[in-house]
Amino acid sequence: MSIRQLVFDFFALCGHRPIEVCPGVWQVKADDGLMQALDGWRAQGRLLQFSFQRDLAEAYGAELISPGSYRLNTILRLVQGQGLLSQAHIPHHLFHEPGIRKRVLAECAGTGRAYVLTSSAHFGQYLQLELSAQARGLQKKESLHTIVVNLSSGEVLKFAFPFHLLQAGSVPTEQIRRRKCSLKQAYLKAAAHVSELWSQDDQSWVEQALGKMAEEEKKLREFYQGRTSTAEFTAKLQELRGRLHPGLSIRALRGAILFTPLFRYRLVVVSASGRERVCTVMYDPIANLRELD
Amino acid sequence: MHPLFPQTTSAWPPKDTAAVLQEYCLGKLQVQIEAAGFGRIVKELRARRFDTWEWYQLARRADRLAAAQNQTQGLLALEHLRERWQETGVIPYEHQIRTAERVIHELHGQAILADEVGLGKTIEAGLILTEYMLRGLVKKVLILTPANLIWQWYYELYEKFGLAAGIQRTPWDWTYADVLIASLDTAKREPHASIVKSIVYDLLIIDEAHKLKNSSTASYRLVNSLQKKYCLMLTATPVQNDLKELYNLIGLIKPGQLGSYQSFKRRFMADKRTPKNPRELRQLLDQVMIRNRREEGTVRFTERIVHPIIVALGPREQEIYLRVSEFIKSRGRRAGPSSMLPLITLQREVCSSFLAVALTLEKMMASLAEAELAEAAALLKDLAEVKQNSKCDALERLVAQFSDKAIIFTEYRASQEYIRYRLERAGYRTLAFDGSLSRGQKQWVRHLFQREAQFLVSTESGGEGLNFQFCNLVVNFDLPWNPMRLEQRIGRVHRLGQMRDVHIYNLITKDTVEEHIMYLLHKKINMFESIIGELDAILLHLNLGKSFESEIMKIFLEHEEREQIQAQLDGLAEKILSSRDEIRAASWEG
Repeated sequence: MSIRQLVFDFFALCGHRPIEVCPGVWQVKADDGLMQALDGWRAQGRLLQFSFQRDLAEAYGAELISPGSYRLNTILRLVQGQGLLSQAHIPHHLFHEPGIRKRVLAECAGTGRAYVLTSSAHFGQYLQLELSAQARGLQKKESLHTIVVNLSSGEVLKFAFPFHLLQAGSVPTEQIRRRKCSLKQAYLKAAAHVSELWSQDDQSWVEQALGKMAEEEKKLREFYQGRTSTAEFTAKLQELRGRLHPGLSIRALRGAILFTPLFRYRLVVVSASGRERVCTVMYDPIANLRELD
Repeated sequence: MHPLFPQTTSAWPPKDTAAVLQEYCLGKLQVQIEAAGFGRIVKELRARRFDTWEWYQLARRADRLAAAQNQTQGLLALEHLRERWQETGVIPYEHQIRTAERVIHELHGQAILADEVGLGKTIEAGLILTEYMLRGLVKKVLILTPANLIWQWYYELYEKFGLAAGIQRTPWDWTYADVLIASLDTAKREPHASIVKSIVYDLLIIDEAHKLKNSSTASYRLVNSLQKKYCLMLTATPVQNDLKELYNLIGLIKPGQLGSYQSFKRRFMADKRTPKNPRELRQLLDQVMIRNRREEGTVRFTERIVHPIIVALGPREQEIYLRVSEFIKSRGRRAGPSSMLPLITLQREVCSSFLAVALTLEKMMASLAEAELAEAAALLKDLAEVKQNSKCDALERLVAQFSDKAIIFTEYRASQEYIRYRLERAGYRTLAFDGSLSRGQKQWVRHLFQREAQFLVSTESGGEGLNFQFCNLVVNFDLPWNPMRLEQRIGRVHRLGQMRDVHIYNLITKDTVEEHIMYLLHKKINMFESIIGELDAILLHLNLGKSFESEIMKIFLEHEEREQIQAQLDGLAEKILSSRDEIRAASWEG
């Protein structure tokens, strides 16, 4: 992941284009608002000169942008504060509708035959969640997970979502199919999925933390010998457990509603015996799911 | 607010409380699903506030970059603070970095930082605090310190770490500020104590932690009852008189680390000050305490070079000096120790400037008896007639040789004004620095001094944590009697970060009490070249401190002859030196 690209994309989104004043050193004219967002309310707009190389930054008095540097941290903090919720969609035209129609008809007809009365284009909803899982205990580990939940079925997607097909923006509301799974349920399912992934990982750190906790607890009990029923002991024990008990905290960093195409067909299905019935089929090409509406 | 950043009103990471939506156990792992972040997403959704897809994608990349940074084993804070430290002249020492790394990675944020004085414990604590904040592990921080160090902490955190901490003034502040500096004495009093006890702190820092050596005090009980995740206790003297003090301090950080007191006594105490099984004790202490020592070659300070400048008074000045001294002695013998303070002031002022003496004498006249009044009035009249000031003449000659900035210290406002008048008249740019200035004004004066003026004439030895490492010339126009004040003066320029040798010029008036003070401070206890910051520990150990001046005044009042005075001063110096040896050879360190 390129820091350089992130910084340039950040300035581009802010409407600024850094100018390379000499090889490896850039300048950008940051206004009051941008500087205040970066450095606090007392900051004023100025010519921000930066470099990604320490020697150049020192030679030209430019601000260094490298892992851990002050300027990179301010940019990261600012960017992380944005994009809490967004939306994107996959347009229908990216899928070959005649092919889908043919496939739906073939599947519905079975041994008989089927034909389409009407068809319409809709959008289904998926929730993309960025989750951070932080291990507590002796070790402080953190991992980030992108989880997508189908808001129609409430299932966590086990296959790769075609993110490359996404386009920014929403879709007409009348085309959106109502979700059947609440956001809270979706979040809990996504979090459960992440914890499941963690539990399949190496668990030696959990054992290590529990061992350490037991050792410390023993010392504490010895210290409070005869006074273990006091509030002070309870508080100290709680503090100790809070610090050492191995645990996993999962929190949502940001989310996006993804609208994916749904193809709805009203069909007449004629069985081999000649009996006719009308049914409505909704096909989700992302999940490859066909369901009767 | 920037139109592009509506979210910046809430800083990152968000301030929501860490409420838990669901909690369950997965094997031995306790899983908590937090409500906070998700709650914010739902709130945005309900308000139909969507950010652009581009910002969303950029934020995701930023999340990953930040997480990758957090996984690094080294200290993020070092890189983060590099530019700030270059500007402010802070050079992190190897032992400070090592200490911060050990506290974070090995001691899990629970430690007593017991470096010897002058090795930069505050920097270590600030480094740990910044590191934890950068990694998102700490948000709510409380720094408890003696009241006189509050502003010093504020400036240190602001200048060296870019942290604008709050200073506790009202009960409301406890809950409001994320990083709060407060006085330990305030915190232990109601209504504050109840509020502080109810708050869960991510990090608690206690400066001068030796004040918690006694487990029966209110301060100890308060700190013991605070809810905290990480805790740092800073002290240069974890043991002063009794090993029990060490036991008590460790009990605050990690109760049970040294067992019960009975078993500690049995296993580790030969007597109050001498430990048994020092190696075993050291192993246990290593798990909670870090002590860096000077002889380990941790820090190399630049030299202090002392230049005594003996100033001979003119005949008229000498005559007035003797009359004032006689007046002080006669009044001292009559009044006794209760009214010692104004006499001490007068005796010190007479070596500084007659202007200062005149002002004090004028104030004293209101409380003088009829017989003394006439003598004081006559003295006052004569003081006003003295036009010569040999000390100021000497100062002018001295500063003419300077090509760099210098701080001129005096104890008195009247002397300060006179010095400024003389130097300005001689064509120098001077600035005044004294206790009447507000914090902001002091910062501004420091800024002006750094950039424009050549001389800073200061009456404030403490300077509330303001440091002047950019200057390496100190002139003591008069000498404070208390070595602590002298140390504070020199300490403004001679501290970590000073790159040049420091030259100290002492103006001493010949055949006056100042000569005796110089004899004590320079010749006997080698004050000027002693280890930075060591004196406060010594005076604390001797239980002197503010009474130091009275001790000296008593010697002057009780003895007439030069030899007698010197013999008495030798005795006092002996006490200080043996106390220093005792502190240095603290046997508990094994």
